[in-house]
Amino acid sequence: MKTDQDPALKTNVEESTPDNIGGERAIILHTQRLSTEDGPGIRTTVFFKGCPLHCAWCHNPESISSQRQIQWMEVHCIGCGICLKTCPWGCLESKEGAIVRDRSLCQACGKCVAACPAGAQEMLGRIVGLEELLSELLKDKVYYDKSGGGITLSGGEPLMQPKFAANLLRRLKENGVSTAVDTCGLCSAASLEMVLPYTDLILYDLKEIDPEKHRQYTGQDNRRILENLIFLRDYLTARPAATALWIRTPLIPGATANRETVERVGKFIRDNLEGRVQRWELCAFNNLCRDKYRRLDMEWKYASTPLLSREELHELEQIAKQTGTNPDIISATGATQVENA
Amino acid sequence: MTTQSCNTPRYSIKEPKNLSPRIKWLRDYYFQGNKRPWNNEFVGFTTGTPWDIQYQEGNYYIVPETYVFFPTFTGAFQQVSHKVELPEGFWGWSLPERQTWFVKEVMVYYLPHEVLPFDLIAGGRFNIQTSKCFTEKEAKKYAAEVYGKKGARAAELWFHNHGYGNAGATSGHLIPDYPRILNEGWKSIHEELNRKLASLSKRDYDGEKGEQIRAMLVAATMARDVAFEYGEECTRLASEETDSQRKKELLKMADMLRRVPWEPAGSFWEALQSLWITHMLVMSEENYPGPGVSFGRADQYLYPFWKKSLAEDMDSDFGKEILKCFWIHCNYAYDAMIRTGGNQGITAGFGQLITLSGMGKGGVDLSNDLTYAMLDVIDELTPLLEPKPNVRLHRNSPDKLMDRVVDMIASSQGSPFLLNFDERSIAGMLREARMADAGKLINADNVFDYAPVGCLENTMCGNDRSGTVDINLNLLKAVEHTLTGGYDLIPWTDPMTGKQEQLKRWGAATEDATKFGTWEEFWNAYVKQTQAIVKRAAELYDRTDRIRAEYFRTPYLSCLVRGCIDKAKDVNQGGAELNFVTLEAVTFANTVDSLLAVKSLVFDNKDCTMQELVQALKDNWKGHEVLQARATNKTPKYGRDDDRADEMGKKVMELWTGESWKYKTSATGKQFRPGMLSWNYWVGDGYILPASPDGRPKGRFLSNAICPCAGADTNGPTANVNSVGKVLGGKDPAGKGDWEGYLNMLPNGASHTMTFSPSLLRDEEHRAKFKAFLRSYAENGGSALQINMIDADILRDAQKNPEDYRHLLVRVTGYNAYFTAIGRELQNEIIARESHRM
Repeated sequence: MKTDQDPALKTNVEESTPDNIGGERAIILHTQRLSTEDGPGIRTTVFFKGCPLHCAWCHNPESISSQRQIQWMEVHCIGCGICLKTCPWGCLESKEGAIVRDRSLCQACGKCVAACPAGAQEMLGRIVGLEELLSELLKDKVYYDKSGGGITLSGGEPLMQPKFAANLLRRLKENGVSTAVDTCGLCSAASLEMVLPYTDLILYDLKEIDPEKHRQYTGQDNRRILENLIFLRDYLTARPAATALWIRTPLIPGATANRETVERVGKFIRDNLEGRVQRWELCAFNNLCRDKYRRLDMEWKYASTPLLSREELHELEQIAKQTGTNPDIISATGATQVENA
Repeated sequence: MTTQSCNTPRYSIKEPKNLSPRIKWLRDYYFQGNKRPWNNEFVGFTTGTPWDIQYQEGNYYIVPETYVFFPTFTGAFQQVSHKVELPEGFWGWSLPERQTWFVKEVMVYYLPHEVLPFDLIAGGRFNIQTSKCFTEKEAKKYAAEVYGKKGARAAELWFHNHGYGNAGATSGHLIPDYPRILNEGWKSIHEELNRKLASLSKRDYDGEKGEQIRAMLVAATMARDVAFEYGEECTRLASEETDSQRKKELLKMADMLRRVPWEPAGSFWEALQSLWITHMLVMSEENYPGPGVSFGRADQYLYPFWKKSLAEDMDSDFGKEILKCFWIHCNYAYDAMIRTGGNQGITAGFGQLITLSGMGKGGVDLSNDLTYAMLDVIDELTPLLEPKPNVRLHRNSPDKLMDRVVDMIASSQGSPFLLNFDERSIAGMLREARMADAGKLINADNVFDYAPVGCLENTMCGNDRSGTVDINLNLLKAVEHTLTGGYDLIPWTDPMTGKQEQLKRWGAATEDATKFGTWEEFWNAYVKQTQAIVKRAAELYDRTDRIRAEYFRTPYLSCLVRGCIDKAKDVNQGGAELNFVTLEAVTFANTVDSLLAVKSLVFDNKDCTMQELVQALKDNWKGHEVLQARATNKTPKYGRDDDRADEMGKKVMELWTGESWKYKTSATGKQFRPGMLSWNYWVGDGYILPASPDGRPKGRFLSNAICPCAGADTNGPTANVNSVGKVLGGKDPAGKGDWEGYLNMLPNGASHTMTFSPSLLRDEEHRAKFKAFLRSYAENGGSALQINMIDADILRDAQKNPEDYRHLLVRVTGYNAYFTAIGRELQNEIIARESHRM
């Protein structure tokens, strides 16, 4: 049975990322400015690259691997073929107007990205320095200040690069910026402890309480995730004013979008976290990422899954509100099907 | 889409609401357009001479779409104009006296005075085309100066055809001194004119000054006499009226119209009646419907009347009812060309701007009950185009106002008003005071009383004509000339004959760009070419301004602009205390991005030689697609909050604004000042200007005002806003700006349009975020913002033209995606979602 003690996972967290370099550099995907969905106010969200989970429904598949990856954006391609000639690994070929990448050969060296005049070869994964990223994030300080917003570290899993995350959060706090960390909870308690002193809000994913189901959906069981949540509760109980906690539960058709899961999560919150959770967000399944999978040559189980209907979303919200958890903290968000006009 | 909103219907096309049967009838009647039995179409009037003209084409030199119709319009009005009986001795009078008498005669005795059913405001028809009252000699001289081979028209066409833009002395675009009429009545102006006439020396009395003051005296009774005629009509209608309530209203109106606008207004109703008659006659005299003749801070100067009437005998609902009638009247400007214009002539071309809210002395907020009542009126009548509201926001704008503003944006397809930002605007006005040595007229004690005209062009109120749409210059022309050493990149071809023009060095004699070894050499040449295009624009404008000053007087309007009586000069001759003309730069972002592209492609990265680049542009990028793609995608762009790129923007801004301050008009002494408006030129001129180094092919739209190029602002709205603020000058960290820390190189202000996804405003929490965004805009952004909402049409266009929409984010809760980067099927799904919303 694979657990978070698995050596492979450990390696991934602690060795194969730039975070090793004293927490001064990190691999991120990009920053999203005027982000209005990852915590209070106007925020900039930093998407870290690399995640210990592999949720079947993941809508950021490019954030799973902590390695750089390259994708071809068909819509921008002008068909000049420069990338084909540039690639030193011979991993690109043209097939019926499409550029096909042999990912077993691709080293993500970025030569095709640099050479492509149209920006059609796109690098996923950017190595950033701490101060470089900080000054980028501070450009929107006025928006954070006026809105009660700030910075959210998300991903991927920011706590896979805990030293960098902690350094960045500390520097942000030094500059008077409010901070949030969006985590899947699968990390060492030490990593959590590193960032908590500089974190105003934790957005904590609680996808499923049943360990077997959790493994089935995400590739990992949830023992550590639940333990960390209890750890977090105790931490917050000791320092109630320091950090706020939001719980986020994705509602995935055929997986978590059902009465049982919502009830289990709700009861867990009621029994273990009552009074410590400021908000419980039910996030409806989203299919906008379908093309990302295609571009990364990944299969997606949910490619043809329809969105929840409004009624389903509403019903799940009502179920959540009847679990004994404070109904005022519950909100449902996300896209639903276009109803028949 | 939270579940709360899931269960309530999504918004549909904005519908009017809370309309009384009266207002509903008046509104529906207006929208019947040319099916109406009554309308306010242009009516022409002539002296009857064979050389008479009505149509003043110089007004339309800034409207290139109309160039081909000049002879048609000129001839058509000559044909259909009604003859006016002239008094004895008419031809012996001075030109301003003839012109003003003629307009007054038409408005008082010729044009019918009708009052619409249920209407609470009198003053129906005002669109006229009147004889310019030229003698044969004047007409000949004018014809030679305007229509001749070397006349103003030919010069205008040359300028436009060669991609410089356009320039012409145009009517309106100012805020008359309406508060004086409301508070003192026309009679006080009449008295002042009499005093002025009596004070003139014999020489002045017999000369131009005497002519002007006498003409203004004639004009000063026009509003009184027109009001009297409407009063008679109300009396007549009352005598036939069977409904007792309406009869009472008509008798009350008849009574009012015998007093105002000659006497000061005594109530809110009288104030609006006085304001309307006074305002509509400005449009009559200028023969131009609603050309940015703006109301200024109406919620401030009408407020004492509102308060007084509420305390006496008016309830606020009736007050709003009068306001709605007033609002509908403003829209009849669009009747001018109701049979010939598209969409029944209802276009967005006019701009009787009305300013709401804003700060007062010391930064205090001046919103009052009337501000909110007017916002209700706008909301309840929406979508109605005129008067165009402009809401002034600032650091101390109260939450109540911000909430109302954001709610109105959220419930409309786009914001039903423009937003003006006081701090940045005031910084620009104070910069103007400094540059033009006008500190006595614009200073820290009165600058907060500025207001925008037309769309967003900032001016002072009641004493300022700044010609805010008069010169529109494509900055990009200077880049073209830098690449060629002063020649057009592509010779102009006459569309009638197909004959190609011989290339001539129209620009500055700078060296052939292929000889430049460094970026600095290129920049230095660009400086010279910019100087040359600004000079050319100034020279062309000077001609049109001189013609207007000589041939077209507006004594009525001059009565309403402080300075004109004092100087005994028409406002068209430079009589206003603040006497400016605005050079509105177009293609700013294309220019900045083109310079960045040249620097990056040729000098920094050596992706191509200058020769290759110039050839690619001559070939409109055909056969050079790789270089075009590189220019488009791999060079820095303005609008991304990239300090290096924005620094180039600031340098460009410093250069051309600095040049504009160097000019004054020769006939009227108008000081040039800079601004960025762009109106619709950025669309049409895209077909004239050749391909540009930023990757734009000939035929693609240019950049609009101060906005980044379409699709270039890939770092989102906050980056876009930050870039805009930076190129205006940004803020001085030591707090030593033009006003507090704020710097602003554009006293006129700059048009900035942004498009947002409706999901940003979907619930209270998000509306609060948007409110904070607007408060942040006041800190980091520009002087004026127009907000649009993404709709299905925009998305469909993005599907067709993905290159123009690389920046377009679709936001679904918790998830953002670039619209162009998702597959067609999903795109269609999102379009369906948005269509459903509509």
